[in-house]
Amino acid sequence: MDKHIVIIAETGATAALPVTYELVTLAAAIDPDHIEIIVLGTDCGDIAHEIAGRTGLSVTAVSTSVEYTPELWKDILSRIIPGRGPDLIVIAHTACGQDFAPGLAVRLGTSCITAVESFSRTAAELTFTRAILNGKAHMDIVPDLSPCVVTVLPGAFEAYSAAPRAPGSIEFIQSDAKPCKIMPSGMSHPEEEDAIPLNEAEVVVSAGRGIGGPENLDLIERLAARFKRSAVGGSRPLCDLGWLPYRQQVGLTGKTVSPKLYIACGISGSPQHVAGMKNSQLIIAINKDPNAAIFQVADFCIVADLVEFIPLLLDEQDGTL
Amino acid sequence: MNKTMKGSFMKILVCVKQVPDTEAPVAIDAGGRWVGPVFSFRMNRFDEYALEEAVLFKEFQHDVAIDAVSVGPERVQAVIRRAMELGADTGVHIEISREGYMPPEVIAAHILEYARNKGYDLIICGAMSEDCMHAQVGPLLAEMMGLPSLTAVIAAHMREDGCSLDIEQEIEGGLRRRFELVLPAVISVQTGINHPRYPTLTNVLRAKRQPLKRIMAREIPLMNRFGFREAATVKQGVMITGSMREQAREVVRILHEHAIL
Repeated sequence: MDKHIVIIAETGATAALPVTYELVTLAAAIDPDHIEIIVLGTDCGDIAHEIAGRTGLSVTAVSTSVEYTPELWKDILSRIIPGRGPDLIVIAHTACGQDFAPGLAVRLGTSCITAVESFSRTAAELTFTRAILNGKAHMDIVPDLSPCVVTVLPGAFEAYSAAPRAPGSIEFIQSDAKPCKIMPSGMSHPEEEDAIPLNEAEVVVSAGRGIGGPENLDLIERLAARFKRSAVGGSRPLCDLGWLPYRQQVGLTGKTVSPKLYIACGISGSPQHVAGMKNSQLIIAINKDPNAAIFQVADFCIVADLVEFIPLLLDEQDGTL
Repeated sequence: MNKTMKGSFMKILVCVKQVPDTEAPVAIDAGGRWVGPVFSFRMNRFDEYALEEAVLFKEFQHDVAIDAVSVGPERVQAVIRRAMELGADTGVHIEISREGYMPPEVIAAHILEYARNKGYDLIICGAMSEDCMHAQVGPLLAEMMGLPSLTAVIAAHMREDGCSLDIEQEIEGGLRRRFELVLPAVISVQTGINHPRYPTLTNVLRAKRQPLKRIMAREIPLMNRFGFREAATVKQGVMITGSMREQAREVVRILHEHAIL
């Protein structure tokens, strides 16, 4: 069963983001012979060369009049894609992908399946799997319409690394689409970096809503202080509550970390959080809920109330010094 | 902070969803249907921020009407009333007679039926629902209505012209992308965009007695087939057992073994 797949590359200022190559891995597992990549941007020629070189796949580089807006991307893609007749359109489940993918699906008269983590196939059909309920359950979706738009969770697939025989071909298109209802007005960096950035710490002790109240953050800090080159992190809900600054957030919309040790305290383990910490070398999770999804990625699991457990842990540690 | 829209009336629709409590057990039947919980529901946390954002617009410019809408069986009236407690002027219930999962394109299509031609200047959704996490209703609804849409919105302020917003969108790594967004439009707000308040007593009393606008939903065909299953515990880590003191001792031993302490 041939499946023609179009990948929309996710790019940074000067290079394709790693998730772009993860999308290629997914596509290659479905049909390695019918993949093409579209990259959009005001100045995306170099990135197109990079992608064509690393994957050997044919790339279309669309030069846009302004930086990203979901309106512009939907305008351009809904004009380019139908002529190519894909069965599947693969987009990264990033802020940008989530922004334009659902609307693009509506314009193409189809549906969108978001935050896909895995897929399976039979002779006739593809099934996409995504997490619900903070990872406690999974949802399998079989698209009935073609083409189907899917967004893929970063980190769900390995980056494509097969060396191509030759670089892929590149087609350059100059888009004349103009922004109309949404005008880009630059980027901002709202917060200054920490003295020891979270993603450089060797030990990260992270807190989630399960810590109960901000008064218990002191326990987390005391535990972190026991390790060299350590930092305190937190889940999104904790930062939303204002208990920790956003620069300390671990997860898809925060920082991605891979320390030697990650201690998850009262963190449920939503896919958004797990995506930011699952590559840690050793993961210890403490949670009251024995069914918490964090226990699926942890190496060691402790079912306990951390307000009682952490003082005991600090105490035991004192005993061994 | 500038939320002022000069000299004109503004109509805001906030889309709210009722979700199961995070702690409620998941119930999936043998046919892969998601059947529970049947009690223990609350308002989607993201939607509390959506409502507060609407209330902030109303505070800075008095001539604002806020409608809150939810799609689902009778039980969702609880979150519509909650939305009124939190500051919505009117509650709209799009009634579905049966229980069970509804895909985002179906929810968006139901809201479209109600919201088209109503003259909303701004439609605010939460960035996603905590239970299904599709993050689609806002951008789908916008496209179906032919309106511009921005998601992951972490700041929204009225511009001087009174007919467009300055928007900051949260992207990866703590960065923000900025846009000017022409109204009418749909925004999906991130948690953290504001600090949702507790309901006032006046609103609580009003929410109790004010009737809801009730609309019977028409049938919307499904676009995909789907099934549910509980998460397979693929890599379940080692469960540390014993008394809490013994567990603590074991963790210290493990840390020594891995040469971390």
